[in-house]
Amino acid sequence: MGLSGNLKNFPFPDILQVIAKEKKNGILLVEWKDLIVAYYIKNGHIIFARPVDKITRIYTERNFPEILKKLRVKPENIPKILEKYLLQRLGAREGIFSLIFGFVRYKSDEPITIPIEQVILEASRQLTPMEVRRKISDEMLTFTFTEDAKEKLKNLKLTPVEQKVVELIDGKRTVADIRKALFPTPEIDVDRALYGLWSAGIIKRVRRGKRHKPEGLSLDLLKRIIEKVKDL
Amino acid sequence: MATNEKDKQKNSNKPKKRIKILISGPFAAGKTQFIKTISEIEPLTTEKQTTAGKEKSVKSHTTVAMDFGKITIDDEHELYLFGTPGQSRFDFMWDILGKGALGIIILVDSTNPETFHEARQIINYFESRYPVPMVIGANKQDLPNAWPPEMIKAALNLDTEDIPVVPVVATDKESVKKALLTLLEQIYKEFG
Repeated sequence: MGLSGNLKNFPFPDILQVIAKEKKNGILLVEWKDLIVAYYIKNGHIIFARPVDKITRIYTERNFPEILKKLRVKPENIPKILEKYLLQRLGAREGIFSLIFGFVRYKSDEPITIPIEQVILEASRQLTPMEVRRKISDEMLTFTFTEDAKEKLKNLKLTPVEQKVVELIDGKRTVADIRKALFPTPEIDVDRALYGLWSAGIIKRVRRGKRHKPEGLSLDLLKRIIEKVKDL
Repeated sequence: MATNEKDKQKNSNKPKKRIKILISGPFAAGKTQFIKTISEIEPLTTEKQTTAGKEKSVKSHTTVAMDFGKITIDDEHELYLFGTPGQSRFDFMWDILGKGALGIIILVDSTNPETFHEARQIINYFESRYPVPMVIGANKQDLPNAWPPEMIKAALNLDTEDIPVVPVVATDKESVKKALLTLLEQIYKEFG
């Protein structure tokens, strides 16, 4: 099933986040005004990028080793290709994307040149203040590490600001606390780091405080409400 | 008059206790329709003509203060459904309506990923100020280009949070009931 949207309002880190979390094979197709690029996804990582003239070609050529052979791409050239068609385009907007999972057949030994988490961090560094505010929308947000954060961090190259933000994540400090601790680092850089780490699944939001039971709400009343709704 | 009859009359004159559930979500997510589908009264709405260019192209009228629907639980209790306005420029209403809410259903338009961020902002807002059980209703699941609920969950970073994402078709009563029941079960789990 295909998912589609516009990079202008649903930028790269967000679509990459969906790819990373789904951990599936597939293709992300991005149509910019000047170029159409197909990104090949294996187990939630982008392992190859290919500019295309005809979109239909993407859907008829499904065997990945055959595609590399046909394009005469040597494995040692893949990092350069990804640099040109993925990393250098992460800040480009005005693109329409469609994401389709499945149908690409891989061998088992295709290498992951750049972990998807690294791509997400790179993309987050290029977000505008308005885009960042959409997600880091509240200075009371509080984060902690995900279960596999250590494992992921081992393979990533963080900027000095991202590194400092990681050191301050403790499940208690709010966004406001982290911004304050890193002053005079510009807030936008701190927020971009938080955006990237959150999108890459390295940190997660924690709930502040316990939810309080509303006054006058008994379990018996709650059961009656449930029964009433069922009977509607 | 029999004692039972007397009691009934006494109860009907007594003001009923109100239980409040909020129906929130971005602009054009289907909040007014959601309430309309399940409310036992014709919902009270405060709709005005949309004026902003982009909004005008999506729908002609929008909620500016709140929508209000009702379900009578028994002689003493009523469940009120309050719909918040979608645009963030009306977020002062979120504050007014959020106080005392039992839980919140946040609807998103599954066909429009551009609005997912607004849903995230609403989640962040309520979690920081009125931390009550929440459910995300992935509305418009009957449309062909709808994102499936599990993808919306991934897009909203909800895979690590205890906020369920359920498929919704706001025009379908059974679907609306299911979303409401999921929230009530969350509340039961939280306080039970």
